[in-house]
Amino acid sequence: MKKRLLTLACVLAALAADAQTPVPSAYPPDPPPAPYTKQTVSQTTLRLLLSHYRQTGRHSAVTGGDGTEELTVQAQELALTYAPDSAQTLVANVGVDAITSASTDRIDYVLSSASRVDYRAHGNVGYRRRLAADPRVTVSGQSGFSLESDYFSLPVGAAVTHRSPDGSRELTLGVQAFFDDLRWGRVNPGYYRPVKLIYPVELRTQEWYSTYRRTSLNVTGAWQQVINRKLQLALYPEVAYQQGLLATPFHRVYFADDARTVRVENLPGTRWKLPVGAQLHWFATGRVVVRSYYRWYWDSFGLTGHTAQLETPVRLSPFLTVAPLVRLYQQSAVRYFEPFSGHSPEATFYTSDYDLSAFTSLNLALSLRYAPHLERPGRFGFQAFDVRYSHYRRSDGLAAHNLSLVVEVLRNRPRPAAN
Amino acid sequence: MTKQLHILRCSGAALLTVVAVATGCTTVKPYQRAQLNDARMQLGQRPLDQPDSHVHTYREGSTGGGGGTVSGGCGCN
Repeated sequence: MKKRLLTLACVLAALAADAQTPVPSAYPPDPPPAPYTKQTVSQTTLRLLLSHYRQTGRHSAVTGGDGTEELTVQAQELALTYAPDSAQTLVANVGVDAITSASTDRIDYVLSSASRVDYRAHGNVGYRRRLAADPRVTVSGQSGFSLESDYFSLPVGAAVTHRSPDGSRELTLGVQAFFDDLRWGRVNPGYYRPVKLIYPVELRTQEWYSTYRRTSLNVTGAWQQVINRKLQLALYPEVAYQQGLLATPFHRVYFADDARTVRVENLPGTRWKLPVGAQLHWFATGRVVVRSYYRWYWDSFGLTGHTAQLETPVRLSPFLTVAPLVRLYQQSAVRYFEPFSGHSPEATFYTSDYDLSAFTSLNLALSLRYAPHLERPGRFGFQAFDVRYSHYRRSDGLAAHNLSLVVEVLRNRPRPAAN
Repeated sequence: MTKQLHILRCSGAALLTVVAVATGCTTVKPYQRAQLNDARMQLGQRPLDQPDSHVHTYREGSTGGGGGTVSGGCGCN
């Protein structure tokens, strides 16, 4: 009986007890929790690219394969990537290059500092969308322009990408067309419109070409394949067809005759190109990744080329990566190439452009990446800073230095979903 | 004839590589992709590659193959 009374007393005490007496709070009461709303995160990336390029050489095509190739290019570009949701991405970029070239100054045989400077302005916009009907398929389109004093290009392109259900394979098929106009005068004071093809000063007594247009059609493929947890491969087969004015109108060619004839470069009006590239990336250790690349190239001018590249990014800390790079390249000459004063006057097509001669080249580079990926919700946060020094040397004596810099900021902004 | 043989050999090697890769792949689950998703493993061209790629397009006869433009869009060859 005593036990029952004690149990009853305990239960009643527990029911009646208050642990604390409520006291008025100095703080306002917490608001009731907001009802759940579905949100999407829009992502905006801004990227600034700066580069300074300096080149020396002694085989300028403007002076028939014998002359200075001194060149300096200052390039700057701003790129925007905006993804309002996970299905769509808008990309846009604009840039201006300032080009100081000693060889193009020789078109007129006038060495004036003003005529040495040229500019290239370029811009592109693109849109990419994952299909609602089949989320494994992404379609994209792009267009833009590239403008120089002696060049205007209008590119148009489209691509479709299919991803395998397990995400281990991705196939892309793309088509690109470039409509180029090689007339001079668009960015030249007093003209600001396309006027005519520009020939070397002593060869302006006749019109050398019947067309000023160049049209290029490129069909590009990409097959990306995950091989295992540490290895992935990509193959890039491409076919390109060009027609129109494929020679450069201000390139001189000197012939091997007593009169030392000089003419404007002449190349066939059509050209097929067939490059196939392969990338193999291997996550060797937690610190080291090996990035390898090989390309085989053939074209209907008779040029074949092989490119091999190896880059090994090494992670020094969670934020800092250093990446040495070596690139080897070899090409055969086009069948129309001869050096200065080497062409037969009977030849139909001829060039002394050493970019189309047989040579090997070595490119060594070292890049440094600092990527803290700072997040500032709703605001731009610093993502990464990349800098690369690159040295390029060709077996014909051309040498170049290139210093590049990329700064990237990113903003994530949550907003209510449409449905 | 030698050139055709060379093209044939290269095509054969490429085909063998494709077959070897296609048959030697293992399925990698999404939670096993930490290493594949590392920024350094990214396939394709990165922004920092662009300036050097531009130089190669101008200074060399070969173009395309996953890096830069195959043809058109610049005053180069």
